[in-house]
Amino acid sequence: MTASNGIFALIVVAAAGFFASNVQRLVAYLRIGRLDDSRWDDVPRRVANLLTIGIFQRKIFRDPIAGPMHAAIFWGFGILSAGTVEFIAAGIVPGFSFARFMPQWAYRFYLANQDLWGALVIGAVAFALFRRLTHRVKRLQGAETHANDPLLILSWIGALMVTMFIDQAFHMVAHPEAATPFYRPLSYALATMVAFVPANAAAVISEIGWWAHGLLVLGFLNYLPYSKHLHVVASLPNVYLSNTNGPGQVGVITYMDLEADVEQFGAKDVEHLSWKSLMDGFACTECGRCTAVCPANTTGKLLSPRKIIVNVRERLEIRAPEVLMADGGGQKADARLLLDGFITEQELWACTTCRACVQECPVSIDHVSVIVEMRRNLVLSESRFPEEVMPAFESMEQRGSPWAFDPGDRGKWSDGMSIPTMAELHARGETADILYFVGCMGSFDDRAKKTTVAFAKIMQAAGVNFAILGREEKCNGDPARRMGNEYLYQMLARENVETLEKYKVRTIVTACPHCMHQLGSEYPQFGGNYDVIHHSTFIEHLMAQGRVPLRHDLHEAVSTFTYHDSCYLGRYNQIYEAPRETLKRALPVVNLVEMPRSGDRGLCCGAGGGRMWMEESEGKRINAERADEALATGAGAVAVACPFCMTMLHDSISARDETVKVYDIAEVVADRLA
Amino acid sequence: MYLSLALSLGDFTVKLAVCIKRVPDMEGRFKIAPSGTGIDEAGLKYDMSDFDGYAAEVAIQITEKLGAGEVTVISIGPDVVQETLRKALSMGAHRAVQLKHDAPVSDGLAIATALAAELKDGGYDLVLCGRMAVDTQNRSTGAFVAELLGVPLISAISQLNVEGGVVKARRELEGAYELVECPLPAVVTIDEGIARARYPSLKGIMAAKKKPLEVKPAQLGAITYSLDKMELPAERAAGRIIGEGKDAVPELVRLLKEEAKVL
Repeated sequence: MTASNGIFALIVVAAAGFFASNVQRLVAYLRIGRLDDSRWDDVPRRVANLLTIGIFQRKIFRDPIAGPMHAAIFWGFGILSAGTVEFIAAGIVPGFSFARFMPQWAYRFYLANQDLWGALVIGAVAFALFRRLTHRVKRLQGAETHANDPLLILSWIGALMVTMFIDQAFHMVAHPEAATPFYRPLSYALATMVAFVPANAAAVISEIGWWAHGLLVLGFLNYLPYSKHLHVVASLPNVYLSNTNGPGQVGVITYMDLEADVEQFGAKDVEHLSWKSLMDGFACTECGRCTAVCPANTTGKLLSPRKIIVNVRERLEIRAPEVLMADGGGQKADARLLLDGFITEQELWACTTCRACVQECPVSIDHVSVIVEMRRNLVLSESRFPEEVMPAFESMEQRGSPWAFDPGDRGKWSDGMSIPTMAELHARGETADILYFVGCMGSFDDRAKKTTVAFAKIMQAAGVNFAILGREEKCNGDPARRMGNEYLYQMLARENVETLEKYKVRTIVTACPHCMHQLGSEYPQFGGNYDVIHHSTFIEHLMAQGRVPLRHDLHEAVSTFTYHDSCYLGRYNQIYEAPRETLKRALPVVNLVEMPRSGDRGLCCGAGGGRMWMEESEGKRINAERADEALATGAGAVAVACPFCMTMLHDSISARDETVKVYDIAEVVADRLA
Repeated sequence: MYLSLALSLGDFTVKLAVCIKRVPDMEGRFKIAPSGTGIDEAGLKYDMSDFDGYAAEVAIQITEKLGAGEVTVISIGPDVVQETLRKALSMGAHRAVQLKHDAPVSDGLAIATALAAELKDGGYDLVLCGRMAVDTQNRSTGAFVAELLGVPLISAISQLNVEGGVVKARRELEGAYELVECPLPAVVTIDEGIARARYPSLKGIMAAKKKPLEVKPAQLGAITYSLDKMELPAERAAGRIIGEGKDAVPELVRLLKEEAKVL
């Protein structure tokens, strides 16, 4: 061991120690968050997410330009990290090489990959720098971003690669006997270019390159914890620990214990958020894919999902040291809390909970859960919410529906249709195979009632034995829960579960994706476990069985349809094909055209997350944006599969072009019943 | 918020009372009970009368702004009114009194007598009532209470200003308003526009469970009148569509002349 080996060893130990202390500090920061132990189950599913979303970069590739660029840097980094380990070991123990532990062919393959990926990374980094410096990529802009950090990081990565090649190439010049032309082809090519350099000078240059590379590696490691590129360390664990793509039900809001003896409901500051939400802040690298797809942001609202996550980290870095101080960290009197200090009420209420941000995030950040937790604080602890929401809350509590209708009129749409209620069947000692949970829109809204009747007619034509709850049905509670009113939500959910259990209901159909999501995915939190089928899936199923008698002698007035995806049907429940398939089966000659934003990239109608009951005065209306997109397809009609999408699109499309009609898929089918 | 305060306090603690009535949800579909003198309560939802809610909100805001004082909410009725009193407590009132009386009473004077008996020795600076109960709409209780307590009344106010032992209030008139003042103690009845009842936070609901709710027998006054009969208006005949376009005009004219007799 030479003196320089000794010096390098000391530097490595110091750098590793400093990095370890930073990791320890950041882990301690996460621990100020709320306990959330739903992150350690279902190992196979988590490993699968880690592989597909993390290692194989599934979501990264959704961007056709930045995708390959990032993947080259990411995979290159992984492969070159092996080289870095060998490099550091050899720096401490002279002559160390992986060749000692590997067959020769494997070692040569490894060497060739070091060269190849080194070059790919240089290319990708150069492209990334070029893109950032010459093109104003919209999603990379934003007041909350750290604009210079990426330039520094990219240059740093480039310098790491360049110093690696300098060290290798000049080493070959200095020691031509040890050169490996075929196994490090690029280094060798460089060496031939600088072969004129005398051997002793080349040795010095190689030595300088070697030290520069070594110091850059260790410096990079220790810069990460202070940069948004903590992402490099935090993102893979974040993907593994995330519940956004399962395990559990996708998009389910966490249960809240309302009986707990706590002073604080929901989140006003970072310590009230789950530790996992805090970790989201570490994993975020400000790529802006979330904000670029946010229906609120893209129509001119203040809300930016990226800013929410960036703010969580910013506030955490200030707040955590206070909490961790020996005295338990009293709140500083002049402190700017996460709520109001960083994130305003206006931003929080703009969210439609459409999950487009979550869907897009390459590192499985859950922006919506932060927003809902903060809304919970606003409603449950502070009673602060847009005043136009109050009648909806009061009506849900009083009448079991967000609109002021008499609960006794809930089943009125079925007058004269001979549809029994569960209570009537029960009184006769009978029961039904299937419960049709109609929902408030389907029961009271004039436009949605047409869908309700259409779906009931289809089921009757197919001979389905079904019943409704009539006046015993209540709002599923989804708007209350998404608006943070967990107290009201749980009241409604428990009442509905009690009613459903009374009639021993097991199978439920509904035309409302919000009812479906609640009854199917969130009611298990209250002991309600049901098989809930959306009407699109159910009708498709009936048609596939040949149970829906249709006329086929029609000349279609409308020949081109476009289908608008509901967020709660699509992103929340992965039902994209059934409604399209239903349309195609009902209209064999029809042409189905897609909007630019469809499927899991579908644009929200603007009604979700309680937005249905709020004013929308900021920017362009979301339903207007969607109407423009639908009309641009040239389709003669728009099909929907959700009563909220129906009312939003019906309003905005009829205001623009009266000839284009909006139909629910059930209406399209019912219209052709024989 | 049309409320301003300049109570010079010193060691003076303001005591406010709010009289609250539990009423059925007005959006419900009403049926007459078999007795013929009341509504069928089956399936109806109940809540605080709207104007009483505004009154409670005003009283709570006064104590919040002062950072001192006490709001007592009082209601007459069977034990179910405790639910309504708890709602007022969850909004921020400090204590509640139920004047227990199980049978329905429609005589405003009898009710005011019971309220006045409770209020008279309570040392209240200001008593707030809703302008009227949204179900029976008698508009009498607040005025009777003021008379029985022998204090001034300002009715149906839309703005309130309590300053140096004086109540200044604004009342809305048809196309105009008037400003009225009187010394404390006093009774005011609250019109809309002054403040919207807040939505109780979960924090408030939890706190309300621990606040005192006293139950006392209601000392009703003599019943001087009774409700004899209640009836729903006759149902309107269904509309008729006689046709579309100009072909339908002669028939329409004929019906307007012969059946409706308006032409």
